[in-house]
Amino acid sequence: MNLSQSIPGQIPLLQLSAVTKSFGSVSALKGVSFDLQPGEIHALIGGNGAGKSTLIKIVAGAHSPDSGSIKIHGHRVTQLTPSAARNLGIACIYQQPSLFPDLTVAENIALRLEKIRLFARVHWTNRRLKAVQLLKLIGADISPDTEVRDLSMPQQQLVEIACALGSKARIILMDEPTASLTHKEQERLFALVRTLRNDGVGIIYISHRLEEIFAIADRVTVLRDGESTGTTPVTETNPSALIKRMVGREVSTLFPPAESQLGPMVLSLRGLGCTAGGVKNITLDLRAGEIVGLTGLVGAGRTELARVLFGITPADTGEISLNGQWVVITSPQDAIALGIAYLPEDRRRQGVILEMPLSHNITLASHQRLFPRNWLRHTTEQTLAEKFIEDLAVKTSGAVALGNSLSGGNQQKVSLARWLATKPKLLILDEPTQGIDIGAKNEIHKIIRRLAKEGLAVLMISSDLPEVLGMSDRIAVLRGGTLAAILPRQCTAHQVMSASLGLKEEGVGA
Amino acid sequence: MKPQQLTRIWPQHETVLLLFIIAEVTYFSLFGRRFCTVDNFTNIVRHSLEIGLLALVMTPIILTAGIDLSVGSTLGLCAVLFGKLWRDAGLDPWLAQICTIGIGGLCGACNALLIAQMKLPPLIVTLATFSLFRGLAEAITQGVDAFTDFPESFLFLGSGQLGQLPIQAWILSAAAIGVWLLVHRTTFGRCFRAIGFSPEGALYAGLPVRRQLALVYVLAGLVAGLASLTYTARFGTAKADAGTGYELFAITAVVLGGTRIFGGVGSVHGTLLGVATLAILNNGLSRLPNLMNIASELSGIVTGVLLLLALTASALPHWLKANQK
Amino acid sequence: MLAVFAPNFFEPQPLLSRLASAAPKLVLACGVALVIIIRQIDISIGSLFAVCGTTAGLAAAADWPWPLALLISVGVGILGGAINGLLVAQLRLPSIVITLATMVILREGVRLKQQGVFINLPEGSQWFGLPMVLGQLTLCTLAVGLLLIMTLLLKHFSAGRFIYAVGSDEEAARLAGIRPRLVTFLVFITMGALTGIAALLNLVQSPQVDPNSGRGLELEAIAAVVVGGVAVSGGRGRLWGVFLGFLLLICTSPALTYLGVKPYWEKVIQGAVILLAVVADGLRTKKAK
Repeated sequence: MNLSQSIPGQIPLLQLSAVTKSFGSVSALKGVSFDLQPGEIHALIGGNGAGKSTLIKIVAGAHSPDSGSIKIHGHRVTQLTPSAARNLGIACIYQQPSLFPDLTVAENIALRLEKIRLFARVHWTNRRLKAVQLLKLIGADISPDTEVRDLSMPQQQLVEIACALGSKARIILMDEPTASLTHKEQERLFALVRTLRNDGVGIIYISHRLEEIFAIADRVTVLRDGESTGTTPVTETNPSALIKRMVGREVSTLFPPAESQLGPMVLSLRGLGCTAGGVKNITLDLRAGEIVGLTGLVGAGRTELARVLFGITPADTGEISLNGQWVVITSPQDAIALGIAYLPEDRRRQGVILEMPLSHNITLASHQRLFPRNWLRHTTEQTLAEKFIEDLAVKTSGAVALGNSLSGGNQQKVSLARWLATKPKLLILDEPTQGIDIGAKNEIHKIIRRLAKEGLAVLMISSDLPEVLGMSDRIAVLRGGTLAAILPRQCTAHQVMSASLGLKEEGVGA
Repeated sequence: MKPQQLTRIWPQHETVLLLFIIAEVTYFSLFGRRFCTVDNFTNIVRHSLEIGLLALVMTPIILTAGIDLSVGSTLGLCAVLFGKLWRDAGLDPWLAQICTIGIGGLCGACNALLIAQMKLPPLIVTLATFSLFRGLAEAITQGVDAFTDFPESFLFLGSGQLGQLPIQAWILSAAAIGVWLLVHRTTFGRCFRAIGFSPEGALYAGLPVRRQLALVYVLAGLVAGLASLTYTARFGTAKADAGTGYELFAITAVVLGGTRIFGGVGSVHGTLLGVATLAILNNGLSRLPNLMNIASELSGIVTGVLLLLALTASALPHWLKANQK
Repeated sequence: MLAVFAPNFFEPQPLLSRLASAAPKLVLACGVALVIIIRQIDISIGSLFAVCGTTAGLAAAADWPWPLALLISVGVGILGGAINGLLVAQLRLPSIVITLATMVILREGVRLKQQGVFINLPEGSQWFGLPMVLGQLTLCTLAVGLLLIMTLLLKHFSAGRFIYAVGSDEEAARLAGIRPRLVTFLVFITMGALTGIAALLNLVQSPQVDPNSGRGLELEAIAAVVVGGVAVSGGRGRLWGVFLGFLLLICTSPALTYLGVKPYWEKVIQGAVILLAVVADGLRTKKAK
């Protein structure tokens, strides 16, 4: 490989200055500056939603920044597209592999590496050799002739890594590359990454595993709420200091005070598990009037647990007790009939039906209750919709407005109204304030508090640490599909983060 | 012109259709032979019943973003089996009629099982049953057998009159009111739309997606069974080719009526206007002196072109928006 | 099995005739395979087949040179495919509805023009001017040659691989720098061209053009393709599988005749075969998940 251009400390391979990016009213990046030197492994850490993925996607050309500049090899670049980034020697390993399931491993690799031309000979032997060579390089025991659909998730991840290595990129972005690898594969990957570094390649390395960062990275940048809290060499810091920077500000007093009285037990889970959903052995109790925050890293099984409770992927082990009775939930209809409501994570795809009027959206889950014998009653519907619009202060031109005419926060309120209309006993909220501006966020928090005070049991899934700490009566932390800790209200952000990351010396027992 | 403006002035389907129907009637009244007579309008109603019925039940299917290509074949199979039940099995005509509708329902259930339960794509499933049902009809009749000489009481269904109106008008009105109520006034209709807009959203709202999907396909089968009876009664014979190509007319009527092919948006009254457009066109072409001999071919061509135009018109604003970026 | 129950099935002359008359179907099946691999469908090919044949026949009847008439057949096919492709790829409309419309328009168009009247072809137009057996052989060779070319294209040229890529995951294809709409459009054009060629192979077999030809061909082709292991969910399938599916299906009807089943059951079998293939595919993907 070419070593001549890789004198560390000279022209950075990549330089971002004051890059901002917002989606709608939410700013994901608020002026982040970042640089990557040749022959450097630069770790990027931060909590969920801190802006790491957005940053990566901007560098890979999948998103374009709103302002700020990007310099690659010292040249300012505008109009970065995925293919332009590829031509500039940038390769990216996304967390979710984007491979063709019906094609073989060799072909998947080839489609990433070869130039896209409509009429060209396909050299199968070359493709295959190249694939074998790359797979061997990363020590993956995968036949190049296997179809990707037959590979496990970690294997697909390895193929992604092979693609990135094969592209001879000078800048490699790795988003949680070890998330699903075995220890051996991980060692192998590290060795490889070090070789690349010695060849002058720059690597941006995102990971939630702090020990990895101390094992491999040269410098580390901590992002928090779309801002950089600075870059330090890893030798000058320690895990505790990093966690402090990830958590940042103390829990603000913006959260409405807790004032609910705990009522009778609403939900008890005993050893609940679901193989298909990747959730195992969960034991948890929830009382009326209580808000339990459910947190953990991406992939820890939070949404999966909610899906089990709501009957989308029914449980196959363990027991669920609702209001003191053992129940079996096999479909969302069961769950609704039992008084369980689930506000899904993906508001636009699962929550509000965007092309439907608000009134229809609000009544959608309570047809049984509102419309006896399946006859729609427009006045009932209208009154109910208007009541909720007023109650939750939804900003809209009226109940006939379509879902997509609203802002994110108001859409979320409509989604919430839909579930309140079912008169639930247990309300599961999945990232209720994700991607919502601060004002609406506050309002939603107040609503949640009020609901708890009125005697609803609330299970609130959230990645937003201040939110979890500020809103919850107790905090359940998931890790690897199972319960890692249950923390009291008075715990610190530091404890929650440590439990999520699995750092024992920092953790507090359940 | 900006795409937003274009979308705003893009006319409503119903309005365009009404204007089109008025234009049709005017044109054919001026140039057609004996077009604008009571007899002829009775005739139009008589001839449009089966396509009307099929279009009515195709509406909820397309609302759920599905499609059913097998309705015409189901009609053919039911017609043949009705003849078989009545003539060869010696069933009482009334009983045979009820059985026929049941058979239609079974055909629909077959589609429903594969689409709702096994989650297979409706287009390929109904394409296969389109061939399967028609093939069964042909196999049962060996391609030549035709059932005739039905009793008077049954033929009434095809040529009778109740009050001042032909029997078909009553059946069509009843079916239209039924489907209209189903789609516009019950929670079922709400579910169809929700599924059409966003199957995932419907699932997360706790709607019984599978059951609703099964319902629309079974309903289509049942109504196709009913249509086979009125069809047989109108022609006085039951043959294996009954209802060939009706799926096209039904789908065209629905799409012309403003139902979005991707699901969610649409109305039953729109579909009725679509049916009227096609029926008047069909009849009118056969009344034009110089086109009389080729009217059936022409009406097929015009129907196909109308379908393409309606689809293109519905996709065009979106296309312009996408290409402006 | 066929050989046991119907010994005379394999006599050379009838077999050759049978193969020759089925050759156009093989060509169509190749095209349909491409269309299904890219996760679309085309049910207008039977009608387009008739249009191509009739146009060429009319051209020949108007004293155009015979080879030119045959080229016209292919040209008309390409045009038809381009119209379908434009509507499907550019306007992103569902191919099933689009091709349902073009199916009827084209079919009724031929009926309108010909009113069922056959067109007589000029002397010597049959079998490329060769003796019959030699002509039949040429015909079969041509069809199999086309199959081989298409196999080569699909396996060894990037364009062919892009068809699989787009059918497998359109979004991933876009991210990889492939242009899915262009590829879809080209597939429909190819389908049209192959339909034209199939019509050509049909034309040279008889002294007349039947304007009613091609009815139900689309279903025969789809059946051959899905039986041959091409997944209706897109992205999977090989042409040699299609070839086997085709052989199986052309053997079925004579086999059934020998077994005493009436030919009226052919459509039933087609429908059932498509259903079975789709169900099997559905079960397999469900299992894979």
